[in-house]
Amino acid sequence: MQSTTLIVVLLALSAAGFYMGRRKAFQVSGNDIRTLNSLPSYYGYYTAMWCGIPALIVFSLWSMLDGRAIMAMATSSIADSGVSAQEMSLVYSEVLRFVSGSTIGEPQPHIVEAVARYRELQDTSNAALIVIVLSIAIAGTAFALGKIRRDQRVRNSVEAGVMVFLIACSTIAIFTTIGIVLSVLFESIRFFQKVSFTDFIFGLEWSPQTAIRSDQVGSTGAFGAIPLFAGTLLISFIAMVVAAPIGLMSAIYLAEYASARLRSYAKPLLEILAGIPTVVYGFFAALVVAPFFRNTGGLIGLDVSSESALAAGLVMGIMVIPFISSLSDDVITAVPQALRDGALGLGATQSETIRRVVIPAALPGIVGGMLLAVSRAIGETMIVVMAAGLSANLTANPLEAVTTVTVQIVTLLVGDQEFDSAKTLAAFALGLMLFLSTLVLNVIALHVVRKYREQYE
Amino acid sequence: MVTAEELAYGMERESVAKGPLEIFEGGGQVVTDRDDRQTVGEPFVDNPRVSARNVNVYYDEKHAIHDVSLDLGENEVLAMIGPSGCGKSTFLRCLNRMNDTVASCRVTGKINFDGEDINSPKIDVVPLRAQVGMVFQKPNPFPKSIYENIAFGARIHGLARHRYELDEIVEGSLQRAGLWDEVKDRLEQPGTGLSGGQQQRLCIARTIAVSPEVILMDEPCSALDPIATAKIEELIDELRKQFTIAIVTHSMQQAARVSQRTAYFHLGDLIEAGDTKTVFTTPRHRLTEDYITGRFG
Ligand SMILES: Nc1ncnc2c1ncn2[C@@H]1O[C@H](COP(=O)(O)OP(=O)(O)O)[C@@H](O)[C@H]1O
Ligand SMILES: [Mg+2]
Repeated sequence: MQSTTLIVVLLALSAAGFYMGRRKAFQVSGNDIRTLNSLPSYYGYYTAMWCGIPALIVFSLWSMLDGRAIMAMATSSIADSGVSAQEMSLVYSEVLRFVSGSTIGEPQPHIVEAVARYRELQDTSNAALIVIVLSIAIAGTAFALGKIRRDQRVRNSVEAGVMVFLIACSTIAIFTTIGIVLSVLFESIRFFQKVSFTDFIFGLEWSPQTAIRSDQVGSTGAFGAIPLFAGTLLISFIAMVVAAPIGLMSAIYLAEYASARLRSYAKPLLEILAGIPTVVYGFFAALVVAPFFRNTGGLIGLDVSSESALAAGLVMGIMVIPFISSLSDDVITAVPQALRDGALGLGATQSETIRRVVIPAALPGIVGGMLLAVSRAIGETMIVVMAAGLSANLTANPLEAVTTVTVQIVTLLVGDQEFDSAKTLAAFALGLMLFLSTLVLNVIALHVVRKYREQYE
Repeated sequence: MVTAEELAYGMERESVAKGPLEIFEGGGQVVTDRDDRQTVGEPFVDNPRVSARNVNVYYDEKHAIHDVSLDLGENEVLAMIGPSGCGKSTFLRCLNRMNDTVASCRVTGKINFDGEDINSPKIDVVPLRAQVGMVFQKPNPFPKSIYENIAFGARIHGLARHRYELDEIVEGSLQRAGLWDEVKDRLEQPGTGLSGGQQQRLCIARTIAVSPEVILMDEPCSALDPIATAKIEELIDELRKQFTIAIVTHSMQQAARVSQRTAYFHLGDLIEAGDTKTVFTTPRHRLTEDYITGRFG
């Protein structure tokens, strides 16, 4: 609460700095702004930046570090009395609980003392923070105002400031990604210390239940990922068998045959398919499509399991149709009209023109779109969780239940888990494999698409 | 006797020097009124290969071609000239019904080719376009090999039953387009890798490969450098022995160099047509004179 107020005050000060800087610029220019190096507003931004940015940096560093420092100071007398590191962390959490008032009961005297000291230090720290931050802001403003002259090249400083800000934003995105990848990687390494890498990659059996107590009978756990990847591939394959022809054909129709009017309705309608939440597809698959297959299968004497790869794959295929159709539509419309004219002018019919000229010219782009759709299908979770089942069958029969990598990751982590058992860590290993395979697919797809773009530019 | 080139380059000063058209002595009418839009000169020939009568073209409500009647004679090159936007391309595209591909376009009137009206519903555009081929402004080779570019037409029309027949068609067409020596060692390489002028000759070869009778060319040299242009002009002169050619050009020099007859279009009207030399030296219509003397367009 207090820090919010402080930030608002800082922003207000920066705004004031902006006006002061601008006015100062007018003054030094003698009311002829053409004599200035930069537009007056740049002097304003310059002042505002000097006012806000150093203060904000100090503010955030302070807020990040002060909790730990205060705690160390508040409990220093306890630490001096020779307590082990483990006990100290208990003391820390107890003090914190009392400070936030989230506990009842009578604390021990040394804790009471530490809490009192903690509160006292915190108040001092807050007061100091306000004073320091505000004085930095004011000092920054004064510094900037003092530097404003006619030939001061503030435009360059402001541009540099903007660039640093943008770099900071992209760094956050990049470092978050790197952080996630690294954490998955390290957890996977921990997993591979418990289960050998080759067992995981080449193992044919997946049953991640491990005994919790050593005297329990039964499973020691089997972490062969082959059935999971086989299930993923089977379902993705079914999905692509459904989506590739339908998506491509509808793209061809939209791009080459449909009237502009029809296209303006049909294209957004197709793209709505992409906006349906996957959980909706999921229960559609589980409650409508899967029972339908089971019943029809029963009628013609086929044994269809109530959760089948076919149902999940089919619905997933419908889900990825818009990816394929809208990407293919884009690349088909990007084929120059001159090529069509050339073929038509030689007496080719429209379908010959499409088959022999337009599609071959657009093919790399179409393939790229398909690969993106595959990687989407591989990573898809919700539909398969609901419709494909949990049993890790190693089968190519689409009528049986299979399971996929994503489904297993979900089941491994649902519920109360210890975070260092092989079972939980397996999720990270699976996630890493999944990430690598979709990464490779995406890289290939983007490369192919880019290559195609270069052809006409 | 002046050559076509001298004609083209000397034309401007000469006809200005000659002064107003009243001194025209070849007989026939002379139109000095710029608002008079009836066709003068000789739009018709004795043995026409293609004859258009009262052709009107509309793009939705826009009336792009007004009542144009014009003949293409056997084995002649007809040049169509005129300021841009006057409807040269539109008229040219009527002759093999390429305007069918423009949804908003509507064509009325009669265009006779081989004794039949090509606009009649009985006519199938596939054989028509094989007989009346087209070369476009910008070279548009297919993104396929040089060989496949030429073989394309032969394949879709089933002209070759065996590979050697196809090879013959490819070699023959490339030879007639004067490209064979340049590409015979790299037939499997993409046609898009050739230079602009080579690409345009590849497109001409592609058109020749289906043995058309008429070739329509829409500003075939406007994207090319002068040397490539000279080669194409030479080629056009050569092709005239076997084909009837209609060429749209924005260069009057080119029209003077390659054509036997010239048609001048102005804002959708055919203003004047006739023997190229006559049109350039002694235009009968004020608008034609304005254009070829550089006063307009
Ligand atoms: N596809 C089209 N849709 C609508 N109007 C067109 C189209 N193509 C050409 N036009 C119009 O028809 C007229 C003649 O065009 P065009 O035949 O291309 O002229 P030129 O080839 O002589 O420069 C122009 O006014 C042009 O704006
Ligand atoms: Mg044109």
